[in-house]
Amino acid sequence: MKFATFAERAAEIDAESADLEIVECVTDLLVDAGDEIEVIARFVQGRVFPAWDSTTLDVGPSACYEAIARAAGTNVDADDVEDRLAEIGEIGEVAASYEFGGQQGLGAFTGGSGGDDLTVREVHETLTDLAATEGSGSQDRKVDLLFGLFNRCASEEARYLARLVLSEMRIGVGEGAVRDAIADAFDLPDDRVERALQVSNDYGRIARVAREEGLEGLDAVDLELGRPVQAMLAQAGTVTDVLEEWAEAAVEWKFDGARIQLHHDPDGLEHDPGAIGVSSDARPDDSRATTRAFSRNMEDVTDALPEVVEFAEETLEEPVILDGEVVAVDDAGEPLPFQEVLKRFRRKHDVEKAREDVAVRPVFFDCLHADGEDLLEEPVVDRHDRLESVLRARVGNDVGPEDVDGLSLLWITDDAGQIESIDADALEAGHEGIMLKDPESAYTPGRRGKNWRKRKPDVETLDCVVTGAEWGEGRRATFLGTFELSVRDGDTLETVGKVATGITDEKLAELTDLLEPHVAAEDGQEVTLEPAVVFEVGYEEIQTSPTYSSGYALRFPRFVGVRHDKSPDDAETLERLESLRSS
Amino acid sequence: MFKAIVSAETLTSALDSVSVLVDECKIHLEEDGLEIRAVDPANVGMVDLSLDAAAFESYEADGGLIGVDLSRLEDIAGMAESGQLIQLELDEETRKLHIQIDGLEYTLALIDPDSIRQEPDIPDLDLPAEVILEGKDVNRSVTAADMVSDHIALGVDEGEEFFYVDAEGDTDDVHLELTQEDLIDLQLGPAHSLFSLDYLKDMNKAIPSDTEVTLDLGEEFPVKIYFGFGEGQGQVTYMLAPRIQSD
Repeated sequence: MKFATFAERAAEIDAESADLEIVECVTDLLVDAGDEIEVIARFVQGRVFPAWDSTTLDVGPSACYEAIARAAGTNVDADDVEDRLAEIGEIGEVAASYEFGGQQGLGAFTGGSGGDDLTVREVHETLTDLAATEGSGSQDRKVDLLFGLFNRCASEEARYLARLVLSEMRIGVGEGAVRDAIADAFDLPDDRVERALQVSNDYGRIARVAREEGLEGLDAVDLELGRPVQAMLAQAGTVTDVLEEWAEAAVEWKFDGARIQLHHDPDGLEHDPGAIGVSSDARPDDSRATTRAFSRNMEDVTDALPEVVEFAEETLEEPVILDGEVVAVDDAGEPLPFQEVLKRFRRKHDVEKAREDVAVRPVFFDCLHADGEDLLEEPVVDRHDRLESVLRARVGNDVGPEDVDGLSLLWITDDAGQIESIDADALEAGHEGIMLKDPESAYTPGRRGKNWRKRKPDVETLDCVVTGAEWGEGRRATFLGTFELSVRDGDTLETVGKVATGITDEKLAELTDLLEPHVAAEDGQEVTLEPAVVFEVGYEEIQTSPTYSSGYALRFPRFVGVRHDKSPDDAETLERLESLRSS
Repeated sequence: MFKAIVSAETLTSALDSVSVLVDECKIHLEEDGLEIRAVDPANVGMVDLSLDAAAFESYEADGGLIGVDLSRLEDIAGMAESGQLIQLELDEETRKLHIQIDGLEYTLALIDPDSIRQEPDIPDLDLPAEVILEGKDVNRSVTAADMVSDHIALGVDEGEEFFYVDAEGDTDDVHLELTQEDLIDLQLGPAHSLFSLDYLKDMNKAIPSDTEVTLDLGEEFPVKIYFGFGEGQGQVTYMLAPRIQSD
């Protein structure tokens, strides 16, 4: 297809505002796409490369302005282009406003090939070359390549080329529109197209498969080792809600880390996107990497995370795709905040040095593929079983699940109390809280569905007076814990719950020192305290309850901190509790 | 098979004249010398280089083809001091180029020639005018034009018998005339073409100021620029396509 034709079609789509009409235009475009259907299915979304591919053009706006200026003719420079952009506001419009083509090519003088129209294929090939250009002077070379394209553009072509290059296509075509268009163009069911897109993450390829191999071809599309799929995402949710919706909940710790998708094949990955610009098919098998790690945005982060590669080499024996988190840990193996992980994640240079400063370790909670078998459709519990067996390859079955390196534990329960205690343990271990999953649900890449919930963070916190506590047991025998919380009702204090979670041993010791002088009475482990100290506590919701004297209970209360600046007279009132509950 | 010893200056001159247009190139290792042909990504400027076996201290080759990353190779050649010799040897097994400068050894990974842009066809042009001048005059023309514009017109006035350079900026203009006396030689013919200084400036970087440079010109035709280096054993030809002249 001529690039001019594509530009014309893009302009038609640009002019449509209704979703249905847009899908219709894209459908027609795909039907007419001919041999360049892969490229066209991506270009129309403003993409140059498939979503699984980490390759980027790496062209800054200034390089693009420079190329436009050079192609624009006599004495136009990048500043002029920028001035015009400031005036007009959109790069496509700016590019379309110049007259290109002043520079002739040598081809025009060799006879034959000179003066041909630019094709979609040529644009794609040139942009692929451009992406592969690296090293010193590469920005100049990128400008040269772009200049070569702009120089051959008429104004509509230039408009969409500029937008494509700067990732500002914005003609209203999203992934959904292309999915629907593929289904309509080749008369295939939406859900099967959707599935193929999810596992392949490649709109171009699926458009071709849909056209040439139909339903059978679509259904045969599998996950491929070395090509990332989009991560399944979670919604916010509450324990109460999920226990109402599902018979049981699968509960996991929510790690304060960065999401990774690990692809590993002991015999070398089928696709090795590590070497950009070099087709993996063109390279000998033994040079293919065995492990690749991708971020949530499907960027290749393998090189930044040597620990993950080592983990895979040391632990795994079969081809797998695993979903998990990398967490930063201190020397004692305790988790460090998320920011520390990020320091490692985008690291390109001095990785070894960074590794000395902050070590990371992977924890996996899902298994998408194992030993030739795609598991996306399997329920959470079965995928987790498979995950455990994959991670047990070297340690065998003699150790408990908690001793399987890299395994995130999973509990199946319908007991809110147990969920609460799992949450407490997670927080105590320094993690973020818990994830709740429907045990029967499949893995749906890229979807923020209802099947995964992260426990909603505290909506608000309350400042409550501590009116009682219990002496701990075992190693915590000398600490006060399980603090009774109260709110003011006129001159009296009424209880609203007990907080025992979210507190480290160190903190417990500190709180004991703070509260012990205020002990009014003791009865076995039970301690009554004079109202003196105010805690800030988070909670999931406020419920009516016969258990506490206020008539209300805080659901899943957690300790946030001591309000040293507040006295019991400044604590929350029952009235406010009631108003929070009704809001 | 390829094994050669060459002076740092000669190798550097050869590489520089190609690297102003492209990052990577194919090098033909012919029995009688090296050949390089390359065209820039926009197919506007082309270089055709030959370096005769006689330019080398020693030279053995049997017609192989290698692909190189020019900036790498230039960096390595830059390690040599003036007057030092550089030894090049191709390892056919590993497809690597062993480079030795005194005690310094460098093994350069080569690029698959098939992954490098196709070599251009050389336009067979019949250009009526020929201007032979010193490299420093080319340099002066380009530098002056660059002060006011991003384009340069090159032409010959057949009536008054001189070669001229015109550059028109938004506000300022530059005009330079070189007569028979200023030039080494001038063959009159109809010639006037406009060129992008982006390219000409790059090509100019590779032109030694004390070298005899020949410009072949026509009307709205490419310019052919050629000069020798390496004591006359090397030859560089550039070809640059014109811009369409707007009125």
